[in-house]
Amino acid sequence: MNWDMSVPYVLSTVDAIHALELLFALSAGIQTLEYWRMRPALQSRGLWTWQIQGQDIPHAAARKFFDFLFTNTALSVLLVARFISLIALALQGANLPNVSFLFLSNIAVLIRWRGAFNGGSDFMTLVVLTGLMISQWVGYFGYSELGWQACFWYITIQSITSYFVSGAVKLLRPEWRNGSAMTIFLNAAIHGPLSKTHPLHTPWLAALGSWTFILWECASPLALLDGRLALIFCAIAAFFHFLVFWFFGLNRFFWAWAASFPAIVWCAGQL
Amino acid sequence: MTSYWVIGYLVLLLLTLIFKTPVVRGPWLFLLRSFFPNWKFFHAVGYVPYLYARASSLSSTGKLVWHEWQSFYPRTPQNIWQLFHNPVTNLGLAQQNLIDHFWADLHDAPEGFDPRNLVTYKMLAHFVEVTLREQYPQASHLQFELRMLLDNTSGTVHTHVMMTSPVIAFS
Repeated sequence: MNWDMSVPYVLSTVDAIHALELLFALSAGIQTLEYWRMRPALQSRGLWTWQIQGQDIPHAAARKFFDFLFTNTALSVLLVARFISLIALALQGANLPNVSFLFLSNIAVLIRWRGAFNGGSDFMTLVVLTGLMISQWVGYFGYSELGWQACFWYITIQSITSYFVSGAVKLLRPEWRNGSAMTIFLNAAIHGPLSKTHPLHTPWLAALGSWTFILWECASPLALLDGRLALIFCAIAAFFHFLVFWFFGLNRFFWAWAASFPAIVWCAGQL
Repeated sequence: MTSYWVIGYLVLLLLTLIFKTPVVRGPWLFLLRSFFPNWKFFHAVGYVPYLYARASSLSSTGKLVWHEWQSFYPRTPQNIWQLFHNPVTNLGLAQQNLIDHFWADLHDAPEGFDPRNLVTYKMLAHFVEVTLREQYPQASHLQFELRMLLDNTSGTVHTHVMMTSPVIAFS
């Protein structure tokens, strides 16, 4: 890589498309396999039994449709079809029928989990999938290059916004500025509480950790200034998401945001 | 030209942080809420809803003998491979999300509303029953509570009960 900042670093559109398709297929594939393993929780003895949860559906006709779609057999078929579709996406690339099926089946799976299964990772998965839908529909009307540009910019704006907003709202909170919020959230996390001797019980270390992540998140729009800066930003982001996984158990966040990185690096090369 | 669009976007972002917009609600909007991302993760410290439940058995004199209240707050051990496959932890997180939604439903409900009509109440009652029945096969009744816990860095500093269910006979 050329580190001469006077020469722009540009990720080629073809490479960015391949990287995006592969990372998204991996991210959504991990989610689909997890949904497969969670099927007992959706059955009559589980928390998420459709017999009760289906009462959320406000219209009788829609309820009837989902009653059929969310039978054990139909849902299993849907998950298998999604997995095959994701393998095809990774090996053959995106096409309109494939991406449209992934988009619609993703919405169905989310409705099965009352609209969102894992919060943020569902949002980002849908963002990348919407970007892919944009690329395919605009391409369908003969503007393939424009479609991919719109896809990358849509994903980048949402991804950068996610970091910036997440950092900015913390900056406004005194408990984040003094570091106590980080310790409180880590104690309440699914892998918590922190051990009595954990370094983050030391107030100044917790404050340092808080400020490091707040400032990095707030500086996220600067990643768009240069392709190399974007690469560094994405490497730090991957480390950040790994920590979030390690302490909060949010493995889906790691992969969902990783799928947005090719778009960020591509967009940074265009400015 | 693109630079101006990026600057315009940043200005818009800052404006959205300053100005609040009204909250639009509806059953379909709730089910399709993933289309409207909320990127404010872990931003505010405050009371957190915890589900507690207990089971009871009938004594020889016909009285209910209650077991201890137990927390349904999910805790799982860390493992590096969970980065690739993590169904148990994710189910635990989804369970706690549902408890958060139950709290939100109670919070938004009008005065005098019967929470037993809520889908979240019914789901949690069913979940508690199945779980307690496995733990206490002889039990005949159950009861659950939604408790609000406020933590500081060293532990829980205040608790209050938001809702206690009636005593429910196992179905």
